[in-house]
Amino acid sequence: MFIQLLISGIAVGVIYGLIAMGMVLIFRTVGIMNFAQGDFLMFGGYFAYTFNQMFGLNIVISLILAALCMGVIGVIFMRTSYWALRKAQAKAIIVSAMGASIVLREGARHIWGAIPLTLDRVKEGSVVLAGATIQWQYVAIIGIALLMMLLVYFLLEKTFIGNIMQATAQDQYMSSLVGIPVVVSIGLTFALSAVITGICGGLLAPIFFLNNTMGTMAGSKAFAAIVIGGFGSVPGAIIGGLIVGLVEQFGGAYISSTYQLALIYIVLIVFLMFRPKGLFQEKIQEKA
Amino acid sequence: MLARKKRNTPVIVITAFLILLIAVVPQFTSTYTVRILSVALINYLCVLSVYVLLGLCGQNSFAQAGFWGIGAYIAGNILTKTFGGSLTAFVAAVCGTAFLAFILGFAFFRLRQYYFTFASIGLMTILNVLFINWVDFSGGALGMKEIPTFQLFGFSADSETSKLYVVFAVCLVATFLILLLFHSSLGRSFMAIRDNEMAADSMGINSLLTKSIAFAISGALCGAAGAMWASVSGYLSYQSFTYNQSTIYLVMIMIGGTGSPIGALIGTAAITILQEGFRSLQDYMQLIYGIGVIILMIFQPEGIWGGGKILYERFRKHREKSKVSAV
Repeated sequence: MFIQLLISGIAVGVIYGLIAMGMVLIFRTVGIMNFAQGDFLMFGGYFAYTFNQMFGLNIVISLILAALCMGVIGVIFMRTSYWALRKAQAKAIIVSAMGASIVLREGARHIWGAIPLTLDRVKEGSVVLAGATIQWQYVAIIGIALLMMLLVYFLLEKTFIGNIMQATAQDQYMSSLVGIPVVVSIGLTFALSAVITGICGGLLAPIFFLNNTMGTMAGSKAFAAIVIGGFGSVPGAIIGGLIVGLVEQFGGAYISSTYQLALIYIVLIVFLMFRPKGLFQEKIQEKA
Repeated sequence: MLARKKRNTPVIVITAFLILLIAVVPQFTSTYTVRILSVALINYLCVLSVYVLLGLCGQNSFAQAGFWGIGAYIAGNILTKTFGGSLTAFVAAVCGTAFLAFILGFAFFRLRQYYFTFASIGLMTILNVLFINWVDFSGGALGMKEIPTFQLFGFSADSETSKLYVVFAVCLVATFLILLLFHSSLGRSFMAIRDNEMAADSMGINSLLTKSIAFAISGALCGAAGAMWASVSGYLSYQSFTYNQSTIYLVMIMIGGTGSPIGALIGTAAITILQEGFRSLQDYMQLIYGIGVIILMIFQPEGIWGGGKILYERFRKHREKSKVSAV
């Protein structure tokens, strides 16, 4: 039981962590929390469903194709509900992202219907480890998530494009002075964020069913992960996601399954009270 | 004196228009329309609470629907389980919610800006889970049924029309009080915090206390809205008091404009008309709503009222300039 919960907690946790990482990438670049991130998850799941169930492709290929589609969605999202508003107040951008979230949710309902769907697992069946039955899907999720984290790390730290994206995140005006096309760079960041979150959707869909409101719940848990980990910190987001996933699984099993959701937020508020800047704090103090 | 009068002109005009509307409409339309008007006015109270918090004090909270629920359940409990009258229920809902908001405000406003917003999302979720699972207080998943209507000094609000009048009276009083707040020193300290919290602190404003008071005032408004909702609908379900409802309040105030209670009114009216007007399109309603929100934010980030005001100022300046050049 313990090992089972541990594995499922870690698997769900890395997914929340990756969604949170997608949000953090956008937050670092444009300073806005993306309230439509959860809906990227839902849309990615539906794209994977389309390729996997409708076209009958292998699940791994479907996930890759879904990731490409999500890149396009990310750019469209950035162009329509962020770029036109970049000079407006933050609350206007938040509200426009909420509008976009409604559009994505309702669009998905019109395209794929409201009935919960499912798709293939990366590997069927389960394995017995130290007396605990563990589904292969959880193992696959952990593996793919680790791979994605490594890839994102290499993309951001070791490649030219990644350096451009980081430079834009640090100072948009300065990077435009040295000749970086800021709009392309921000577009790439949104695309990367949507790709990461979309793949998570495809991985999560076989475990929780795929429906058009799954994004809201996952998105709000990713918010909790970000706050626990510390705003604007990528490793913090992953650790925060793991904490949220483990609290969810263990709290649901040992404390109370009815108050499972409340439990996550109680942990969040306790963190906010005693460590308001999260686990990985920003080094810069607030300026007047 | 003259300047002050001029500033309040739109408020007086709109109030007069609304009184006329509320007096005339129930005579000609179905009870369904009257019910929608009551619900819209209740929503307006909640949006007004967002105005106090976001428009005046600059704090973005997603817990308003939760406070609305607390007010509704307090009033519902008093009306159904004890012998307390309507007035007791109303006062208890307002004071109880305000007190709770004040206490929570002290804890939550140690966090700033974004962090506060996230804590409020957490609070909203916890409250919703409580509404579902705390059966003694909220009736659990079945909800709370058969709540008696508003009664005061022998007058009983039995028909939809009389319920509408009660809600409207509460809205008028609340708006008047908020306008008073706007011109008071407390209101000015709210705005100082909104514009620059650090500067407000150094001017001697106790920002933690002031923000908690703003939270309490917004809680009181939500509590009043909740008490009204309990007696208008007669049935309370946890499904009304969700995070989504809180986001709708934010969308409403942003569409109307955060600068004045008129913005709250316009936003509520716009969303209600949109929802009811496109009811025939049912399936595409939400989609149109989402696209509308994005488009409005792109072209009018200050909201309808704020944008209109800017346009009017520009027009006035232009006219003055042309007058000067003519002389």
